[in-house]
Amino acid sequence: MSNIDMSKSKTDLPYGTLDLLVLKTLDTMGAMHGYSIARRIEQMSGTLRLSQGSIYPALMRLEQQGWISTKWGVSETNRKVKVYSLTKAGAKQLHVEVTNWEQAAALVARILGAKA
Amino acid sequence: MMTRRRLARVKALFGANRLERELDDEVRAHLELAEHDARRRGLDPVEARREALRQFGGIDQMKEVHRDDRSARWLENLIKDARYGLASLRREPLFAIIAVAVLALGIGANTAIFSLVDAVLLKPLPFPNPERIVRMWEKPPTGTNSTTALNFTELRRRLRTFEAFSAEVDVNATAEIGGEPVRLQGRRVSANHFAVFGIAPMLGRTFREEEDRPGAENVLVISHAAWQQRFGGDPAILGREVRLDGVPFRVIGVMPPGALDRDRRRARMAFVSFWKPLALTAEQLEAGSHFLSPIGRLKPGVSIADAELDMLAARAAIQDLIPQWKQDWGVIVEPFDAALIDGTLRRSLYVALGAVVLVLLIACANLANLLLARGAARQKEIALRAALGATRGRLIAQLLTESVVLGLLGGIAGVGLAAVMIQAAIPLLPGTIPFTATVELNLRVLVFASAIALAVSAVVGLLPALRLSSASAADALNSSSRGSSGRHDGIRRLIVGAEVAVSLVLICGSVLLFKSLMRLQMVDTGVRAPNVVTASIDIARDKYPTASQVIGFYDRLVDEVQAIPGVESASIAGDVPLEGTGGENLRTPATGDERLLVRFKRADPGYFQTMGLEIVRGRGFSRADRIGSAYVTLINEALAKDLNVRFGMTDPVGQAVDLPAIGYGSSTSRTLMTIVGIVKNERVQSDLRADVLGIAYVPIAQAPILWNKLSVRTRAGSASLVPSIREALRRVDSRVALADVRTVEELRGLSLSGMKEPAWLIGIFAALSALLAALGLYGVVSHAVSQQRREIGIRMALGAESRDVVKQILQHVSATIVVGLGCGLIGAFLLTRTTRSLLFEVSALDPAAFAIAAISMAAIGLLAAAIPARRATRVDPTTALRSE
Repeated sequence: MSNIDMSKSKTDLPYGTLDLLVLKTLDTMGAMHGYSIARRIEQMSGTLRLSQGSIYPALMRLEQQGWISTKWGVSETNRKVKVYSLTKAGAKQLHVEVTNWEQAAALVARILGAKA
Repeated sequence: MMTRRRLARVKALFGANRLERELDDEVRAHLELAEHDARRRGLDPVEARREALRQFGGIDQMKEVHRDDRSARWLENLIKDARYGLASLRREPLFAIIAVAVLALGIGANTAIFSLVDAVLLKPLPFPNPERIVRMWEKPPTGTNSTTALNFTELRRRLRTFEAFSAEVDVNATAEIGGEPVRLQGRRVSANHFAVFGIAPMLGRTFREEEDRPGAENVLVISHAAWQQRFGGDPAILGREVRLDGVPFRVIGVMPPGALDRDRRRARMAFVSFWKPLALTAEQLEAGSHFLSPIGRLKPGVSIADAELDMLAARAAIQDLIPQWKQDWGVIVEPFDAALIDGTLRRSLYVALGAVVLVLLIACANLANLLLARGAARQKEIALRAALGATRGRLIAQLLTESVVLGLLGGIAGVGLAAVMIQAAIPLLPGTIPFTATVELNLRVLVFASAIALAVSAVVGLLPALRLSSASAADALNSSSRGSSGRHDGIRRLIVGAEVAVSLVLICGSVLLFKSLMRLQMVDTGVRAPNVVTASIDIARDKYPTASQVIGFYDRLVDEVQAIPGVESASIAGDVPLEGTGGENLRTPATGDERLLVRFKRADPGYFQTMGLEIVRGRGFSRADRIGSAYVTLINEALAKDLNVRFGMTDPVGQAVDLPAIGYGSSTSRTLMTIVGIVKNERVQSDLRADVLGIAYVPIAQAPILWNKLSVRTRAGSASLVPSIREALRRVDSRVALADVRTVEELRGLSLSGMKEPAWLIGIFAALSALLAALGLYGVVSHAVSQQRREIGIRMALGAESRDVVKQILQHVSATIVVGLGCGLIGAFLLTRTTRSLLFEVSALDPAAFAIAAISMAAIGLLAAAIPARRATRVDPTTALRSE
C-alpha cells in the first residue's frame, strides 16, 4: 500500500503530502489532538485550501501503519479526545519521506530550470 | 508495513461499531474546539458553529473516506450481502428449499463419486512407501501364472533388489468357536510377509523365520476384524489355542485394523481372518504346481525395470531346475496398485465421474433457471437499488453473493448427503473396489466439495446477475405486472434445451450399459437347473486321513441329502459353476510333449444331472469310478473341439489323454485316463465375457480333496431346504461347516460384479438428470403460461378450443425439446465411446439404444410440459382479463 494510493483525501494538497505534513507537525510540536494538528497545518500552509476533517482519515492511516500512536486525553473544552504522537517508526518514516520529497523537488526544479 | 496495514484493516471489520463511535466523538470534540476558538475570536454562538462546520468540510464525506480506508470494505460488503441473501432466502422458503435441494443432489453425488475416485485412484495405498510394493508373476506364452514352491524359494535366495519377498496362498479352515463349526478364510504366507507391507502387529508379534519351516510349532496371526468378531475381542488372545481343522494353533499376534481387515482375493470370498506360515514341504518343492503368488518390497531407489532385470537374472540362474517346456517363460514385476486396480475399474470410475459432472451441470442449469425466474420478479427491487445509487459492480456483487450463499448451503447439505450415500454404498462395494481403498470424506474430498459449491455458485449466479444488473431502471420501474419477459424466456428455453441435451447423453450411456448388462445376463452358463443351491463343505485331514475315508464321506453325505424330501439330486464337486477351477496341461500319448491348457474339475456322478448338463456322447461317471478302478475323464464339447483342432482327435470317446491325477495327500503325478464321454459346455469362469473353455472332468472319487462344494437340486424354492441340508451334514459330520450357501442365480449375480455397478450408477444419474430436465421444462412452461394468461383468456373467450391452446403451447416447447435432443444425440455420439470397454456385445453407437433414449427423453419432456399446458386451458377468460 503506497502513500499515493492511500491519499484519496479530497484536498488541494498534492497526493500524499497531507500524511507527510501530519508527521512533520507531530515531530515539531509533540503530542497533539486532531483539532490542533489541523489548525497548525492550516496556519503553516497559508494559501493551501484544507478541510480540517480530512486529517482524520490521514491520522487513521498513519496509526494503522504504526507511525503514530494514540492516547486518550482531555481537551481545553473538557472533553475526552484522542491525542496523537509520533512513534519511533514514524520518526524514521518522516526522515525517509522528507529525503524523498527533497530529492523529487530538486529533480523537478532541475528539469523545469533546464527547460527555461 | 503493507501486511501490518492489511491486518489492521481486517481487524477493523470486527470493531466497526467502536471505531465509528470513536470517530463520532473525535468529530464532536473537534467541532467543539473550533467553535470555542471562533467564539474567542468574537463570533456569536450561531456564527461560531457555522464557521466550525465550514472549516471542517463535509463530515459524511470524510467519514466515508475514513471507513473505506480503515477496513477491508469489500469484506464488509460481503458480510452485508450474505446477510441480505440469507434474509431474502428466508422470505422465499420454497425457492430456497428447491434450490438447496437441487444443489445438494448435484454436489452430494459429485462428492460421493469423488470420494470413491479419491479412495481408489488418488490416495496412496495405506502402507509405508507403497510404491515399493510389487507383485510378481510368471509369464507363459499367453496370460500370466502363479509360481511354484521351488521357483519361489530359489528366486528369493538370489534376488538382490528386494528388501522382502514373500509368497501367499489362500486357505480355508474350519475352526470350532462356541461349539459351532465356522469356516474361516486365511492365508499361508512367508515369515516376512508383513514386512512387505511394512505393517507391525497391534498385539504380539508376527512370524519368525524358523516358524516358516515344516515341523515348526503351529502359530497363527489373526486380523483385527477376526479378533473382534470371532473371538469377541478377547484381551487374553495372545497365546490362546485355536483349533483349525482339528489341529491346534497358538495365536501369537493380532494385526492392526484397516486395510488388512478388508483384504480378500476374490469378491465373493470372506475376509482374511488369519495368517499362518507357508512352511513349504519337500513334497511341495518337488511338485511343479503353480500355486504361490509372490509379493515383495523393493529396496529404496530400485525401479520396477531394475527389479524385473534382477528377477530375470535370478531365473536364468535356476534355469536347470525348471522343466524344459517352461524354460522360455518370462517374469513380470508390476506395482502392487496396478495389480489391484484393473483397467475396467479405472474406466468405470472415470465414466461415473464424467456422468456425475453432467448431473451437476444440469443441476446448475436448473438453478440458473430458477434464479432467472426469480430475478424477473425481483427486477423492481434491483432497479430501485440502482436508482438509489448502487453501482453495477455493487449490484452484481450482491447478486453473486446471494448465489454463493445458496451454493454454500447446497454444499453443506450435499456433503451431508454424500456421507449418507457413502454409508449406504460401502456395503455394496467390497467386491468392486480394492481392499486398500478407504472411502471417506477426508480433507481432499471436502476441499473438492467446497470448490464445486463455489464454482457452481459463480456459474449459476453470474448469468442472472449480469442480466438483472443491466436492466434499465426506468424500464423495470415502469413495466406493469404484465411483465414482458420475452428476453428471459429465450435464455431460459436455451438453458432447458441444454438440460435436455445433457440428459439425453446420460440416458444414452445408461441404456447402452443396461443393454450390455442384459446381454451378459442372457449369456448361457450351461447350467440348466432352476433350483440349485451350492455350498462349501471343507473337511479336516485329521478325521479323514485316507482317501477311502474321504470318499466314504462323499457317499454318505450325498445319500443323506438325497433322502431329504424335495431334493431331486445332490452332488459333490471340486468347484461350482462360474467360480473358477484349476488349470492343467493335457497331453496325448500320440502327440508326446505338446500341451493343451485345459480347465480341470472334479465331479461326482450326480454333478451333471444336478446342474442339468446333458451328456451328449458316451457315459457319465458312476460310483464305480473310484480310486483303484481305471482312470476316466469326461470332456465338454469345447474341449472335444480343441482336441480335434490341436491334436486331430476326431472321435475322442475311448481315446486316452494324459492329465495329472491329484491323488489324495500325495504329489501330482501324470496319469493316462480314458475319455468316456462328452458333456455340454458349462462356464467355469466368473467373467461372462470370456470364451467358453475346454474342461476335463475327473471323478472326484479318483482324486479326492478336502475342500469341496455341495450342490443340491430341489423341486422348488431351494433356499427353504437349507436347514434340512445343514441337518443332514451334521448327521454325517457335526464338525463340518456349511459355508458360502448360494443359489446358482446368486452365483450368476456375483459374476456380474463390476459390470452391474456402473450400469446402475449411470442409470441413477440418468434418471436424476431426466427428472431435473423435466423440472426445468415444467418451470419454463408454467412461467410462460402464467405470463400468457391474458392472451390465453382472450383466445378462449374468442372461441379457441382448449385442445388448440395446449397444442400451441406444446408446439412451442417441442422446438426446445427437439433442439435439445439433436444436440444431445451429437453429444452422445461423441461421448458414449468412453464406455466402450465396459460394453459387452453392444456397440457404443448402438442405434436402437440411441432411439430408445431419445424417445424416452422426448416423452418425459412433453409430459413435463403438458401438465402446466393443460392447466392453462382451465383459465377462466373473465378472471384472466380482470386480474390486470
